[in-house]
Amino acid sequence: MVDAARHPNITVMSYTEVKRVEGFIGNFKVLVEEKPRYVNMDRCNGCGACSPVCPIEIPNEFEEGIAPRKAIYIPHAQAVPLRYVIDLDACIHCYKCVDACGKLDAIDFSQQPRQQWLDIGSILVATGFDNFDPSVIKEYGFGRYPNVITAMELERINNSAGPTAGRIMRPSDGKFPNKVSFIQCVGSRDERYNLYCSGFCCMYAIKNAVQWKQSHPDADITIFYMDIRTPSKGYEEFYRRAREMGIRFIQGRPSLINEDPATGNLFIQAEDVGLGQAVELESELVVLSTAAVPRIDTNVMGSVLNISRSPDGFFMEYHPKLRPVDSPTDGVFLCGAAQGPKDIPASVAQGSAAASRAARILNADEWEIEPIVAMVWEDRCISAQGKKCGICATKCPYNAITVEVGKAAAVTSAKCHGCGGCVAECPHNAITQMHFTDAQVIAQLHALLKHEPEKKVLAFMCHWCSYGGADNAGTSHFEYPASQRGLRVMCSARMDQDFIYEAFRLGAGMVLVSGCHPQDCHYITGQRVGAERFEKLAKRLVDLGISSQRFRVEWISAAEGAKYAQVIREMDQTLKNIDPQALKDEIEKTRPELERRVRRMRDVPEVVKALAIAEEA
Amino acid sequence: MHKLAQADPTFKDEIMAEPGGENLLRCYSCGTCMAVCLVRRQYPDYNPRRILHMATLGLRNDVLSSHVIWRCSACDDCYHHCPQGIHISELFKAFRTIALREGFTPPDSPALVNERTCVACGLCVEVCPYQAIQLVQKRVLGHEKAVAQVDAALCMNCGVCAASCRSASIDLVNYSDETLLQQLEQQLQMAEVMR
Repeated sequence: MVDAARHPNITVMSYTEVKRVEGFIGNFKVLVEEKPRYVNMDRCNGCGACSPVCPIEIPNEFEEGIAPRKAIYIPHAQAVPLRYVIDLDACIHCYKCVDACGKLDAIDFSQQPRQQWLDIGSILVATGFDNFDPSVIKEYGFGRYPNVITAMELERINNSAGPTAGRIMRPSDGKFPNKVSFIQCVGSRDERYNLYCSGFCCMYAIKNAVQWKQSHPDADITIFYMDIRTPSKGYEEFYRRAREMGIRFIQGRPSLINEDPATGNLFIQAEDVGLGQAVELESELVVLSTAAVPRIDTNVMGSVLNISRSPDGFFMEYHPKLRPVDSPTDGVFLCGAAQGPKDIPASVAQGSAAASRAARILNADEWEIEPIVAMVWEDRCISAQGKKCGICATKCPYNAITVEVGKAAAVTSAKCHGCGGCVAECPHNAITQMHFTDAQVIAQLHALLKHEPEKKVLAFMCHWCSYGGADNAGTSHFEYPASQRGLRVMCSARMDQDFIYEAFRLGAGMVLVSGCHPQDCHYITGQRVGAERFEKLAKRLVDLGISSQRFRVEWISAAEGAKYAQVIREMDQTLKNIDPQALKDEIEKTRPELERRVRRMRDVPEVVKALAIAEEA
Repeated sequence: MHKLAQADPTFKDEIMAEPGGENLLRCYSCGTCMAVCLVRRQYPDYNPRRILHMATLGLRNDVLSSHVIWRCSACDDCYHHCPQGIHISELFKAFRTIALREGFTPPDSPALVNERTCVACGLCVEVCPYQAIQLVQKRVLGHEKAVAQVDAALCMNCGVCAASCRSASIDLVNYSDETLLQQLEQQLQMAEVMR
């Protein structure tokens, strides 16, 4: 921290909040608000004369609330910068600190929040994690029994700079506890709270137990665990050392903790799987290894930076295996526990990786992007003709489109990721997506449905999930009928309703639209854009006279090959169950209306050309 | 329910102080020993993994009174499969040593030496697969003489000594020559009747 603060190329802006982020990769404009410290940063020298005279004492957040702090304080002894701050919510304006500060005259109650815009090349998100509050797990009695504490509290008690100067004592009577139990997976791997494994709790519980055992060899230490997870380098050896030191490991998740009010001791009920029997253990102190959970303001930060969250609530990476430090927004990188719980080596590795990813941008004059961006046909955009529209801008997950009445919509190519939602939504066919133009998709449609279309299951697939699912079905040997015809676009948002009308017009027996599950979408909200459209479309198709069983919407992830195969099998079977003559009649009957609906497609000259070529062939 | 408060945390240290008991705490309860064990096929409730776990928990009485620690045939199949390299039969020997010291009796009595007729030829010492027999100087009926002595913690009741003793001075208690001959005779009579 101190090194970072001293580095000539690093500016630390503490007590400062990011309010808004505009612009794009390499060219961000960031609005930050520096909160008032009520202490002049230039005058304060961190001497600490003010703090002792302050009459206010409130719980110290850094000490997990087990020690007090003053209203004028530094967050912790190693704080950078070493400058005091006044907590105005707690301050009673006695001004004793002003007197103590004396000639330095650093205290300034007139300070106001200060906002400024910064030019930023790339952004790293390292907002960390919060600790799970175990008081919601009633059976462990945290908050009710003083001697049930969290691992974080133990860290502070065990720290020589902590409130007890490193003397381990239990909260109820200040005595040294000789019998200690650690309980793992508190709030993780639990359907009720968090499904994921927090990953580093096994190691820190073992670390705390080993430290304890080293300083107090007679201590009776037990770790209750479901699975010990020590997969990194050197960790298994550490676990083995802990076992050989005589730390007791019991496989079993305690179901109940009872307190003996007379002694403050705790009775833990659990099953010992190794023994195949229920056990009861008396402990003088119980330490809960609580889950790591997303920061409480992750949502706010996510919307400021325009990055999404994975189902566990942490920030989502661009690709879980291949681009684990990139966020879905170019130029924004993730590191540490903000992206998911991780231990120190993993955080350092990801932080270093994110820094070098960010530095690539700072050192580049030009930046290569994927060529699949959206482009506006300015002559067709009705905004240019002075009409109010802007549908494209509302559908863009990246805020890449700006619409001003009187001007054609403008796509910032550097921000566009190529989901194609704007292209599909534009009612005037005024936007196209490079490499996935309407003409290209229509040409594919015609080729796929050239022969016996009424016997085909036409499947629209998004690139990231359902196409991967179909691929997975293939590599895993999950068979599905050969009547399937797949058409890949980047996102379900790109699946224009005209494509589906056109497919039915050409006489497709079945049409499937498939994409990512909402929480997996690689274009933040692209799936939602598609889903909303298909919901309305399904009703419209029925009104048109197309039987509802011929159109299906399914969300299939890249891992769900079995599901993909199953959906295709079901659709193929449904198609076979339909009377061929009835199907033929239905296709003939609905064709004129479908013809009318897709007429607008021909506004685009390339589509006309593609159709002509298709008809020739 | 096991009240672990009554468990003896020093028990594991006691075991580890015995020869063969050193590696007790390495066990992480994977169950490989249990899966390969030949004795388990004969005694379904025989579970070496559970005994090791009970020992680490300090359940002294449960371990020492268990028949499991006496039934091991020391085939060492588990030793060769154990991922932590624990020599379980040696560990069991340590359990048995402590059990005998604390007055627990084995379910099968060890081989019994008739000290009056033993001539200390040493054949049994040679043939015992478990090195359970030693020759010792002893006063027998007022005379100082060398006789064979069986270590109850090591004897596995295989009976090799009894079969090879030329003076019929060593025998198994539950499977004595006499009992076996009687059984043989009965079988032969049955066979005769059947014919």
